Parts: sequence; C-alpha cells; structure tokens
Amino acid sequence: MKRLNISISNILPGRKTWLGVGLLLAMASCTDLNEQLYDKVSQDDYGKTSSEVATIVGGAYATLRGYGSGTPEGAGIICYPTCEYVFFTQECSSDEACIPTRGTDWYDGGRYQQFQRHNWDAKNSGILSVWRYNFTGVSKVNAIIYQVEQSGLTTEDKQKVEAELRGLRAYYYYNLLDCFGNVPVVTDFTQKELPTNTPRKDVFAFIEKELKEIIPLLPSGITYGRFTQNVANTLLARLYLNAEVFTGTARWQDCLDACNKVQGYSLTPNYKASFAIQNEKSPEIIFSIPYDHKQGTVGNYLASMTYHYNQKLAFDPAGVYQWCGNGICAQPGLYSSFDARDVRRQSLLIGQQYSAKDGSEVLMDDGSPLNYTEEIDNFTDAAKNAGARLNKYEWSANDSWERDNDWVLMRYAEILMMQAECNFRLGYTPTALTYINQIRKRAGLDDLTTLTLDDLDNEWKHEFVFENLRRTTNIRFGTYFKPWWEKPADPADKHTGIYPIPQEELSKNPNLKQNPGYEN
Amino acid sequence: MKLTIKNKLSGLILFALMMFCSQVSAQDFTATGTVSDSGHEPLIGASVSVVGGKVGAITDIDGNFTIQCRPGDMLEVTYVGYTSRKVQAGKGLKIVMEEDAKTLDEVTIVGVGYGKMRKSDLTGAIASVNSKDMKQGVITSTEQLLQGKVAGLSIVQSSGAVESGASIRLRGGTSLSASNGPLVVVDGIPGVDINSVQPSEIVSMDILKDASAAAIYGSRGANGVIIITTNRQGSDTEVNTIQYNGYVALASAAKTLDLLSENQWRSYVRSTGNMSALDFGASTDWQKELMRTAISHGHNINFSSSKKNHGYRASFTYNNNQGVIKNNTMNRLAGSLSAYQTGMNGRLRLDEGINTNFDSWHPVDNRIFERMTNLQPTFPVYNQDGSYAQFNGTNTENPVELNNNRTEDRKRHRFLGYLKAELSLLEGLVATVNTSYEFNSVKSGLYKPTYARMEGQSEHGWGQRIYDDYTNKQLELYLTYDKKFVDIHHLNLMGGYSYLDNTYEGFSSTRSGFDSDAFGYNNLGAGTDHRQGDVGSYKGESKLISFFGRVNYSLMDRYMLTATLRNDGSSRFGQHHKWGVFPSLSLAWRISEEPFMASTREWLDNLKLRAGFGVTGNQNGIGEYKSLSILSAAGSAYYDGTTGTWKNSYTQIQNPNPNLKWESTAQWNLGVDFSLYNRLNGTLELYYKKTSDLLWTYPVPQPPYLVGTMLANVGDLVNKGFELTLGYKAVRTKDWTLDANLSLAYNHQEITKLSNDQYQAVGLQAGPLHSVRGMSNTYAQVIKEGFPAGAFWGPHCTGISDDGKYMLEKDENGKVKEGYLGSAMPKWNLGLSLNATWRDFDASVAAYGMFGQKVLNVSRMVMYDPTRFPSQNTLDDFMKSGITDNPTFSDYFIENGDFFRLQSITLGYSVPMNAVKKMGLSRLRFYVTGENLFCITGYKGIDPEVSVPDNVLNSPGIDFFNSYPRPRTFSLGVNIGF
Repeated sequence: MKRLNISISNILPGRKTWLGVGLLLAMASCTDLNEQLYDKVSQDDYGKTSSEVATIVGGAYATLRGYGSGTPEGAGIICYPTCEYVFFTQECSSDEACIPTRGTDWYDGGRYQQFQRHNWDAKNSGILSVWRYNFTGVSKVNAIIYQVEQSGLTTEDKQKVEAELRGLRAYYYYNLLDCFGNVPVVTDFTQKELPTNTPRKDVFAFIEKELKEIIPLLPSGITYGRFTQNVANTLLARLYLNAEVFTGTARWQDCLDACNKVQGYSLTPNYKASFAIQNEKSPEIIFSIPYDHKQGTVGNYLASMTYHYNQKLAFDPAGVYQWCGNGICAQPGLYSSFDARDVRRQSLLIGQQYSAKDGSEVLMDDGSPLNYTEEIDNFTDAAKNAGARLNKYEWSANDSWERDNDWVLMRYAEILMMQAECNFRLGYTPTALTYINQIRKRAGLDDLTTLTLDDLDNEWKHEFVFENLRRTTNIRFGTYFKPWWEKPADPADKHTGIYPIPQEELSKNPNLKQNPGYEN
Repeated sequence: MKLTIKNKLSGLILFALMMFCSQVSAQDFTATGTVSDSGHEPLIGASVSVVGGKVGAITDIDGNFTIQCRPGDMLEVTYVGYTSRKVQAGKGLKIVMEEDAKTLDEVTIVGVGYGKMRKSDLTGAIASVNSKDMKQGVITSTEQLLQGKVAGLSIVQSSGAVESGASIRLRGGTSLSASNGPLVVVDGIPGVDINSVQPSEIVSMDILKDASAAAIYGSRGANGVIIITTNRQGSDTEVNTIQYNGYVALASAAKTLDLLSENQWRSYVRSTGNMSALDFGASTDWQKELMRTAISHGHNINFSSSKKNHGYRASFTYNNNQGVIKNNTMNRLAGSLSAYQTGMNGRLRLDEGINTNFDSWHPVDNRIFERMTNLQPTFPVYNQDGSYAQFNGTNTENPVELNNNRTEDRKRHRFLGYLKAELSLLEGLVATVNTSYEFNSVKSGLYKPTYARMEGQSEHGWGQRIYDDYTNKQLELYLTYDKKFVDIHHLNLMGGYSYLDNTYEGFSSTRSGFDSDAFGYNNLGAGTDHRQGDVGSYKGESKLISFFGRVNYSLMDRYMLTATLRNDGSSRFGQHHKWGVFPSLSLAWRISEEPFMASTREWLDNLKLRAGFGVTGNQNGIGEYKSLSILSAAGSAYYDGTTGTWKNSYTQIQNPNPNLKWESTAQWNLGVDFSLYNRLNGTLELYYKKTSDLLWTYPVPQPPYLVGTMLANVGDLVNKGFELTLGYKAVRTKDWTLDANLSLAYNHQEITKLSNDQYQAVGLQAGPLHSVRGMSNTYAQVIKEGFPAGAFWGPHCTGISDDGKYMLEKDENGKVKEGYLGSAMPKWNLGLSLNATWRDFDASVAAYGMFGQKVLNVSRMVMYDPTRFPSQNTLDDFMKSGITDNPTFSDYFIENGDFFRLQSITLGYSVPMNAVKKMGLSRLRFYVTGENLFCITGYKGIDPEVSVPDNVLNSPGIDFFNSYPRPRTFSLGVNIGF
C-alpha cells in the first residue's frame, strides 16, 4: 500500500469551518420534532408481552359498556346499552315500554314518540346511538385483533385470544343484524375503502360461520363475564331462533341443538336474584356486562331514568337518593297482563309512594300525591306520575349514580324459553310444556297444560320484561306490526322490522344504501 | 412623568445643545418655567433657547428650566414630536407643547416583533395603544385594558366573576374549533400568558392586525399578535421615580332578572285559582340572598431608576377583589423586577427580569344561577331551626346552601423570567439572544361536606385536589442589520431561529366517604370510599422550531417595502406536514412626502397608503399527539372472570391522522393613514382574509374507521371588513384640552367550505340545547356553508295564538319550516372615548358597543314554561304573556344582542405642582371612576354580552344561566409620585 503523507491539519477543516459544522450540528439537533409520549403509548410499541396483550383484550370487554356523549366514540350521542339510548330505542319500539312527554320533560325532538309510533326517520339520534354503539364495538375489536396479530404471542395463543374477540364481534353483529339487517361486514382493521351493505342473510351467514369456527377454540365451562363456549352457543341459538325473520328460513332444530350445548347453569329459586346489586352470584347468568362503580364503570343508571324526582324520599330516609328523571315507564296494559301472583310483576312499580323516613305520602312538587298509575292519560303530555316504573334491578338507599348491578345479557331462562318455543314450533308440545313450566313455576304460577303461540309470546314478555329482548320477540311473533296503544298498524311491507340506516352514516359513506322502505 | 422612547432620539440634540450652552456667558435676567404636554405631563429634556441668541437650556425631570436672557427676549422651546413654541421670557412660565402630527409618526416607535420600527416606516396594519389610553377603573385581567380601544379587536369579559378572564377576538376570528386568542408577545417573548404582566408595568400595546404584520409569527399569527412593551427602557436623562397607585371600589350587580316577588306570586295564585299551590309563607328574593355590595381594593407601588448605562425597576401589586355574588373573592399578589446594564463600551446591553404573580380565589358553583330562578318566593332560605330549607324536585336545591356549604379554593402561580442580550457586532449589525422561562400552575381544592345537599350527602363528603402546570422554555437568536446608503436607501435585515418547548403535566385526586368533615380537602386520605379513577395524572410536550427573516427597505422615506418569511415546524403537526411556510409582502407609500404634494402641506400633515398580503397559521386546534395511533390506559377497567378481579385495559383512543396541520389564513390588507390640520388623524383598513384547512372533528364512516369522528383540516372561512380609527384633538387652549377617539369596525363572516373528497359535511349541528329540559335532541345553530359561525337555525315564530300557543311558520305540507334566524357574530364594533382636561382637572369617558348580533335567551325560554308556576318561580312578563305552550325553540327567544355600554367615566384632580412640591412629592392625583353605569340594549336577559366559552366560535351567543351578573362599580383612587 502506498503511504500517504498527509498531516492531520490538512485533512481537518480550519477552525472557522469547525465552528460552522458545529453550528449546523447544533441546528440539526434543534430541529427534532418527534413527539415524545409520556402518559400514552404508541400502538406500534405495545403488545409485546402476554400481560400487555391481556390489557388490550380486556379493552374489548370494556367496549360492552358503551360510551358517553363526550367521548370520541360517543361523539355527541350517548351510547349506553343500559339506558340512553341503545336500550331506550329498542325497548320503546316494543310493546312493553314507552317514554311519554311530561310537560317540558322528555320531548327531546320527538325521538321517543317516534320509537313508540314506529314512524322514525333516519335522523333519529336514538337509532344512531344503536348503530354507533355496535359499530364502535366492531371497530375496536377489529383493531384489537390486528394488534394481537402483531403481538409476540404464539400462533396457538393468538387463535385462542382471537376466538374470544371474534365472539364479541359476532355479538355486536348479531345486534346489527337484528336492528339494521343489511349492514357492512368489515373484519379487517386496515381496510380503508368505504364498505357497502352486506345483505341481511349474508350477515346472518357471517355470524353463523364465525361462531361455529370459534366455539372449539373458546374456553369451556363457566367463567363469569367472559365470552365462553356457552355464550357462543346461546348467541348461536338466538340467531337460529330468529332465523326465519333474518333469512326467511326457520332453523328451530338448529336452535335446539345449540341450546343443548349450553351446560352448567340453573334457574335461581328467587327470580330477583339475577337482578340484585350482587347479581354476579346468580347461577343463571350466562353472559353479562359487569359493573362496579368503584372500578369506574359508567353508563349504568337506568334507575335514575325511570323513577319520579321525588322517589328519593321513598327510597332513602335521608331523602338524598340519586337524582331521578321521571322518564321511561311501562306501556299501559303491561302491568295488568301479569297474574297477581306472578313474582315477575314486581319488576314494575305502581301505586302511592311512602316516605322512607316517616311513612307519610310522598308528594310531587305541586303538592299532589306521588301515586304511579298504570294508565297514561296522554302520551304527549302525560301526568308526572303516569306509567308503571321499571323496578327490575335492585336498588338501595346508598346507590351511587353509577349502579353496581351487572347488566344481564343472557341467562339460562332464555335457553329454557328457546327450548319451549322451538319444541312447540316443531310440534313437540309436551316437551315444550316441560320447559315453559319450569319458568312458570319459579314465577309462582300454575303449570300450563296446553300451549299456544300467544302463551309463548306472553311468557317471553313476562319473564324477560325490560331485558331488551322484547322488540325481537315482538317481531318474531308478528305482534310488532299490529296496532297498539299509541300506534296504528305498521305499513304492510313491514319495513319497520329493521331501523333505517342513520342519515349521518349514509352521508358519510356514499357506498351505503338505505334500507328498503326508508329510501326517500 | 413623561418617559418615552422619544427621549432616546432627543439625546443627540440635547448633547449638542449642552456643548453649545457651556460656551455662553451669563445674562442679566433669569427666566424660569415648566414645559409640559397638553395632558400636563412634564416634558423632560425639552430644549429652551433665546431667539437670536446663543443661550440654551434643557428641562429637568420635572420639566423645569432656568435660562439667562434679557427681559423681553423671546424664548423658543423645542421637543421632538412637538410643534416648537415661542414665548416671551418671564418667570414661572407654563409652556404647554402641542404634538406635531407631521413628525409624530417619525418618532413614535412601534413593536413589530423581533425589533421595533418608526410608525412612519410601517407597511402593515398595526394599532398601538398607549398606557394612558387604556381602560380605567378596576382591572381584574390584563385583557380588559384594550376593551373598546382598537378597531377590529373585540374583547368580551367571560363573566362578572372576579377571576374570569376575557376572550379576545380579532377581525371575526379564524377558527371554529380552536381558541381565537391572539398571540401575546411580552418584551419580545412570544406566547406568554397576558396576565403574567401587571397592568402597571405596561407602557404600550401594539396590535399586529393583518397577516403582513403578523406573518413573522407564522403558525401562531392568524389571530393577530399583541406586542406588549413594559417599562424597562433606558433613559439618557437620569430619572428616579417612586409611585403609589391605589383604589377602593364598591360594586353591585348592574341588572337582575324580574322574577315574581312573593306578593306577585300570591296574587297570580289567587287570580288563576290554583288550588294546589303551596304557599310556604316566607318572602325570599333569591337573587338578593346570593348577592352583595362588593368591596374591593388594590395597591401598586413601584420604583425605578434609569440612567444611560444601567437601571432597574421594581413593582409590587396587591389586589383584593370581591365579586357581587357572595363568597366570590380573589386576591392577587404580583411582583416584578427588571434591570439592565450596558457593557463593552456600550456595545453590549443585558436585560434581565422576573414577573411573578400569585392569584388565589374562590369560584362560585354556577348551578346557583338556575336555582335562584327556580325556587319560588314564598319558600324560605332557612327552616325555623336555622337549618337550610330544601325544596324537593329537580334543580331546586337551596342555592344559598349550595353557595355556602362548599369550599373551593384555587391558586394560580405565574412566573416569567428572561435574559436578553444585545451585542453590537459591527456598525449596524446587532445580535440578540432572548431566553425565557415561563411557568404557570393552578392548584385547586374542593370539598363538599357530608351535610352539603349536592353531592356531599350522597357521597358522604367529597374532596378533590387538582394540580396542573405548564412550562415554556424558549430560546430566540436573531441578527439585525440596519444601514442607510447614500442617504435615500434605508435597509433593515433581520433573520433568526427560535426554539420553544412546552411541557404540561398534572395530577388529580378525589375521594369520598368521609367520617368527619374536619379536614376539608386537606386530608383526602381520610376518605374511605376508594374508587378507580380517584387518582390520575398526565403529561405532554410539544415543540415549535422556527426560522424567520425580514427585509425592510425604504426609499427616500417615501416608498417602503417589508417582506417576511417564517418556517415553522411543530411536533403537533402530522408526519406529512411537519413544516409550514408563512410568507408576507407589504408596501407603503407616503404620498404626503412627495414633492408634488408640497402645496397641501399646509393642511395635510400625513397621507400614507399601505397594501399587504401574508399567510399566517393557527395551531391551537391540534393539540398534542392528535396525529398518532396511540393507546391510553385510563378509565376502562374490565372484569377478569378467571381471577374474579377488575383489571385495567388499554384502549386505542382516536383515528390517527398523519395529515393534520395548522389552519392557514391568507389575508389582504389595504390601509390609509392620514392626518389633517394637526388635529384630526385616522386610519382606514380594508381587509379580506380567507382561512383554509379549518380544523373540525369530522364525522367519518364507521366502519371502516375506529371511531366515528376524526380531527381533520377541511373547511374554509372568509372574514372581510373594514376598520376606521379617528382621533380628534378638539380643543387645545391654555386651560382646556379635549380629545375624542373613535374606532369602528365592520366584519362580515362566511363559512365557504366544509367538505372535501374525504369528509362530507353539509351542515354540522351546533349550539346544543341538551341541558335544557325536553330539548336534549335540539340544536340551536348550524355550521353551514354560506353562513357565518354562530348561525341560528330553526323555526320562525309568527306570533302567539289566541290560546297562547307559538305559531310556527309551516311549509305547504304543514311541516314546521326551519331556516336561518340570524347569527351570533357581531357585525359592527364601536369604541368611543373622550378625554378632557381643565387646568388641574381631568376627565375621561369610554364606551363601546357591538351591533348586528343575535343572542338566544335560553334562560328566558326555560322560564317561559307554564308548568313552572306555581311550584317554581318565573318571570313576571311571562305571567302577563298568556303563553300556555311548553318551551319551544324558535326565534321567539332569539333577540337582538345590540348594545352600547358606558364602560367608564373618570374624573380626576391633580394637586398643583407647587403644592405637591411642598409636600415633598412629585405628583398627587385623586380620581373617581364609575364603570358600567349604563348599557343601552333591547336585550331582555341579564346582559347581552354573552361569553364565548374558550374563545371558540362553534356555539357563540347562547345565554343559558351562565351569566354571572356584570358589576356596576364605583371606585376612588389615588396616584402619588414621591
């Protein structure tokens, strides 16, 4: 190699140049604009360990509680499955509940009157709430599945974790299938193209396929609050029970087969135990949304949406029970449809309220007695005490605003009722009677010896009153479209059996088509 | 004491004069006198000479001079910026100098950002307000100083609460979702909390209104820039001062609602034959129960010494202000210290200082305002046993109990420290380093005791501590080169670099379940009810890095050009738009200096045309981390059935948007400055500004997006208008002066675009009325193309039917028609002031008004409810209206918000100089001020000036029980110079 004789000073730039280079370097480090995260983590950097993955998957379960209007997810619309407006929308479209306008209160742009009269339009924000609740669930679960895919778990573990997530997604899609029918099926978080509607029967097929695929991968046995094989089978049974409505083809036997796979549950002797503050102890609950205000859970305040403002005096000797807003109540006729011996009638509150402090009559602000009546004098200008109140979930004088009763989504009585109905529809009336009579016995009623569709419809109504199953049951039995109290018969095309796709979603996604009957 | 930058310029002249003086011999007569300006402020350093002679003198710190001459000689007094005067020599002369409009612009120095310029050289739209023109009376926040003073700058005090700040909006604002507050620059430090500076320290405020002026501040300049100059100039004449300023003030609510008194209530009950009405037998005026005559006082003491090479100033303020609602008080302790020193034979100047203040206040719970209208007048405040009476029902808790049975204390600490070095490198070349550290923290403590009706009883005592702070660390380096070539070319070049790091953090803790109320919020650990979410903390950071430069060129002092360029990089911006470029160009032509205008000089002192264009930005709306895909671990616990325990989940919180960037405002400005007959001066500005890339949280389709909304830059907003400022020196006599000033601004706003290929928004709902009973699905406003912000939208009410129902206009199908019902954005802003002096008396009157805006009177709509009476109180005029309908949103409740408010009247008396001297003082002035003495308006609510929450334009002009009444204040004050 040739030796080069070059002095260091020749190579190195002069002092002035150094100064310039130094200045440039200083400048370069002073142009760093990366955002440093402190109290949040980047999606790309998270999910390396199984405990980290657990925190992400847990987030999928947290989505079940829904969103307040001030959150990015709620974006101005309250989306709680327990009351505003996911529960309200579906309950008040059925024949068991309503929200009458009471003076100034509860008009709110007429949306509750629309639910009751089945004359909703696509701008009804309650309908948007149902859409947003379920699709936020779908989108979040898709995002979590994507993250689990990127995580450090083994392929086998990924499959197990993803099975639960797909189960939750199937639950949301079941709701969407039930409420909107032709909804876009999106499973890939990275998809950015705007989707189109998937026909209702294809949505059905998607849910069926998903559930069948994941059942072997899901945990067996009973784990409270978790998406297990039992939960998947119950959901599958629900899907089949309503298959005729969803697809035009009945699947009664498939429903029975799925019901038979649900194992390990029993009816609680006390009907009310499933709705107690500590209802997680009930052996009847298959799937629920757990709540505990001490854990910061929000949205569970249905009690405050139904009782009169002065109910606090009846509940609490100190008279400081949580604020109540005097809203949702039973439709007239519901209370009296119960047998007087039926323990389930206590799910409704009626009559004069008495002070918890001294037993005196509780009065309303104008000095008249707080006496809940079954009748509602005028749906659009109801008396403050009109309508029987929802009294299903246990309350206590010490309730905080966020109640602690877990919200029941599936319980064993539903399996029994599905078995009763499917057996009846398949012609096995004696078998059907054995199932329905288990339910009736617990309610304190006599056994039935014969069975009609009306009997079944009534039993569904009484057993699951205010459990958000009524709209689907009404549709299955056809009662949904008949005239009732404040509602004329639905249009003959029965397009009201699904809600319109919210106007806001249509305007955001031009690829979406409005549901039939709502096109104008 | 007249202490302005003018003195610097006069230094050279003085020096020359002094050299000249020393050579002349004594004369046989000694003339003496005082030189002052028209406001009786002594002029320091004015030169006095004998006409035709060689003798001269200069005035001292009190404006006094002594000169040797012959009896009968004429003396000539000159002072830069003033018309020279000739008077006959005598003893005890009082010489009042009058400003010279011709040269005033050449000696008035205006802050333009990274430097100062002569007003005559300006090419952009810049308005200046001197300390003596600022708001008089009780100042609770620094923004108030500018209220009604600058055309196009509207300042709305957010409420009558003593701790409330004000929102400032320039030329209609530029953003629908972000704060529209201008950038505040204090002594060269950008982005400072305006309340870091004590009003006593402010010498002048320069408002950069158009983009050509504000573009030097790039992505923060779109809402204009307020450049504050504090009292830290050097002086060639040695000046030492001590001053005390103090006031005592009494305030009461300027207006309350006309609710039913107990007698009216009873007579309506009798006349309506309402049998179920419960008369509780008391007579309670709930508004009165909560209000008081508030007593406030404030004190400022400052002293300074300024010399050629070094100086210092110290100032200390203590204010104790009471609100007109009981328990609402605020204390402020503020101190500042600044010093300067020159070195290296005058080539180096260092400035250092700190401004710090401590505020502590008790806010009120705003829920009292609705409750004081709800409770009926026969209901007592207290039970027989002295306990608070409680009415059942909704929103009817006893407001007196609510106001008394809770403890809320907040404390704010502001600190601003700086070090500035200016080094003259070569002739005309100066390097400046400006470093600063700003810290701002708020601590709050809130306790609702176990016996408090609201939350206290149900939560068994509820306590909370919150701590938030932020720190701005800033470094700015720039070089300035100033050179004149061949006498007619004047070039000024500036270029620099700036680095800003903003870090914010805080934590909060809450606990309930207290066995004893003994600790208040001071021992949260005593609470036994542990909950998820009891504790929380956060931290975030953003960085702003900039390169900037400016060229000023003027030819023959007639033709001027300014060009600026700023390149801003912000960590908040999405990865696709990390850096933004903000250019500007402006030109000016001083027509009056043209030779062909020689014939008009008699009467036309100044005529200047200006034209400019520039682009500025607003990055307030982005916030940190909004462009990223991130997970947060707050507030979403889940139940783990396997272990039977609750665990925390991490959840993705937003749709990432890598395209996020600043809102960009391009602005044209045409201006004319003129001055006539040395009496009337004025400025007319015409502007057109278009904001693009408006940030809004847009609805996005879900699926495929994670959540249904996304922050994105989509829309366009146009503001156009004009501003006229006139100043008239109406009277100038020996005893009398009278000045009148007017500012008038017109702004037209229109949202021109809200959608693009990706985001579609035909009309976005705004002005939610969700908290009004029965209206939780009702919106009062839309954000819609073709309309201004704050556009009210809904049914038009044609009248009240015979049976008391609202008659709403319907379409051919019988459906209620909805349409545009006017906007909450004011079209006209007016400011007026008069200043007069007569001998030792002074008087000033200031007023302002806004016109053309609508206000939705929700408070009234809620009280116009037939179901309220008799269990709740209502307005007397509602009982007379015969309305039987439930509250319905329509333009029936949308009122004209036009108003004209007498902001203040001040009368002052200065004790004559010779008497003051005898006391050993240099100044003694007493004054009385009345504020908010009247407000002319047709608005039926408490006050038409409705606050704009967070200075955001998305839902302005809605009056919903948020109106803490504005006070009417009388104060008595004193200014003493030692």
